[in-house]
Amino acid sequence: NELRCSFCQTTIIVYHSGWDRHRFQANATIVGSKKLAIMSDDGDLPWRFSADQGLEDQLFDRDRHIRYLEMNYHLLPSPYEGQEIIRLTLAYFTISGLHILDALDRVDREAVINWVLSLQAHPKNEAELNNGQFYGFHGSRSSQFKSLDNGVSVPNNSHLASTYCALAILKTVGYDFSLIDFSSILKSMKNLQQPDGSFMPIHTGAETDLRFVYCAAVISSLLDDWSGMDKEKAKNYILSCQSYDGGFGLIPGQESHGGATYCAVASLRLMGLIEDDLVSRCTSSSIIDVPLLLDWCLQRQADDGGFQGRPNKISDTVGGVLRILGANNFIDEITLRKFLLTCQSEYGGFSKFPGQLPDPYHSYYGFTAFSMLQETGLNSFNVELGISTVTL
Amino acid sequence: MDSDEDDRIPLSQRPEWSDVTPVPQDDGPNPVVPISYSKEFAETMGYVRAVYLADERSHRALQLTAEAIHFNAGNYTVWQFRRLILEALNADLHDELEFVEHLASKNSKNYQLWHHRRWVAEKLGTEAAGRELEFTKKIFVNDAKNYHAWSHRQWVLQTLGGWEDELAYCDELLEDDIFNNSAWNQVSYAVKAILTKPENESSWRYLRGLYKNSMPSFVMDRRVSTVCLTVLTTKANCVFALSLLLDLLSNGFEPNQELKNAVEALLPESRDQDSDMAVTICSVLEIVDPMRVNYWRWRKKSLHSEVEEGVRNLRVH
Repeated sequence: NELRCSFCQTTIIVYHSGWDRHRFQANATIVGSKKLAIMSDDGDLPWRFSADQGLEDQLFDRDRHIRYLEMNYHLLPSPYEGQEIIRLTLAYFTISGLHILDALDRVDREAVINWVLSLQAHPKNEAELNNGQFYGFHGSRSSQFKSLDNGVSVPNNSHLASTYCALAILKTVGYDFSLIDFSSILKSMKNLQQPDGSFMPIHTGAETDLRFVYCAAVISSLLDDWSGMDKEKAKNYILSCQSYDGGFGLIPGQESHGGATYCAVASLRLMGLIEDDLVSRCTSSSIIDVPLLLDWCLQRQADDGGFQGRPNKISDTVGGVLRILGANNFIDEITLRKFLLTCQSEYGGFSKFPGQLPDPYHSYYGFTAFSMLQETGLNSFNVELGISTVTL
Repeated sequence: MDSDEDDRIPLSQRPEWSDVTPVPQDDGPNPVVPISYSKEFAETMGYVRAVYLADERSHRALQLTAEAIHFNAGNYTVWQFRRLILEALNADLHDELEFVEHLASKNSKNYQLWHHRRWVAEKLGTEAAGRELEFTKKIFVNDAKNYHAWSHRQWVLQTLGGWEDELAYCDELLEDDIFNNSAWNQVSYAVKAILTKPENESSWRYLRGLYKNSMPSFVMDRRVSTVCLTVLTTKANCVFALSLLLDLLSNGFEPNQELKNAVEALLPESRDQDSDMAVTICSVLEIVDPMRVNYWRWRKKSLHSEVEEGVRNLRVH
């Protein structure tokens, strides 16, 4: 399985997966000092590899990642007080992360369910339910207030993104959704949808953009009930966010952005407005410009293998988009894997850049990326919903 | 106000707060991902809970929200409460702009900060337009691609006005010369940008985007194939040029001999096989863009139907 470069005589080790190498001859073409493309005579998939050293030394360190997540699950260090308001999101990254790593037995399922449910906002009566507020889940105790008996009513500060996280966690730990009536969530979610189809995350006022359309779509999907949103209006808003270069901006007219593109494509898929595996189908009949989108997404994979969120920047949600489109075999998985491993922390988890400390957000995306790369020992990941749907 | 930890006096020791009892957090019996709050954070939030529950919209409450925001700039509940207080006090919102600007240096990517800024600017109205545009410019000095700042700028122009100077400003950011408006031509502009820096993906995408709703113009405009050819003569492995040429061919473009020769030169063995030009380009792309080799092989296979459709679309027009 060894080749020699005919220019400099360096030994090249070839990685491949699933192919019987005796079935075809390889013709190598050298294009640069690090990258090499090998075309096979009759096979569809060429072998690709990097001549860099050390690839085989690095492994995905599942045990260490589990320990990192367990630590977070039990106690987050004080610098995280700067993210107190999104505590439920941190919980989602941790618990869903453990599920992906197939280590959900590390959590106390009952405790999780009770804690998450304790963050739900409840209207006192039918009148309150119809007062224009959104009754979902609070993101933390910092936005949840119990009114004192002084006659002053406090508005509920439940939030769309927190609601998504809450339901995702409950789904992850296998909570039976029929045990609770979530209809107040759907009934009041309509109050958050704007005339242009976008969603505001909280009724007291906030920015509106694609992120919250996505939250609404996942919530509807998890509750299997679309009465809480006007899909047609949401669709029109999403389409108005597609930029001239094929990607999607967070709001109409804005620059294409990896995260926004993921929200757009995943939402359309959840709403059933685009089919799966679009790349293999007749793309001209789709409501979005698929060829342009595909090209933009693929170009986001940078030389180091990681995905940029925008030309000349960084993110990893674009990998998810490609999976939804059915284009993940167009990704250079070897180089991507190598890049991700450079961000793997010795403390467990992943960091944004090599050498930095890990954080829950980048760790979670590292785990989902490895799941999509089919790393051994990891559960499969549902890209549109953002959780593993492997049942316990 | 800079919350330097050493200088901070605990709220419990401040005389102006002596009448208030802080309300501690109740996290329930078995909290998940609990955070190890510092004393200062826990105390501040305890007092915030107290004034929030009492709905006290006073100056001291306003000051307290600033302290809470410094601990957790994403706390939308506190930001919202701050807005209620500002309204109740009929506060001078110009001071508020100062407050946000001060915070922005360390929180320029914080959604709540930008939402708050927009709220203030909207209250101030069109008189705030100039200052808002200046504010975004300050952000661009350190972070030219700040997504929030660009959205804010777009919002200001749409809601508060100021488009006339905008094109000139964008131009200033993209290059040093300022074009004379009467000589404005977007395609020429994009071509010039490409030739100046062919490795910048954005210029190529912009050029392509100009023809988004007009495929015949895309195919007919000789400037597109010319810029591809020009770039390829000096940078034979320019993926963007090759990809754009492929796009043209897929949409029914008919290359001249000069272009055919240039492409053949990139892959000498193709001459003998009498390959279709688009097929040759795909082969070259497989080599010069190995990261996406599977994609280019798939494009090569799809060419037949792509070209058929491209020609069909041209006829329809």
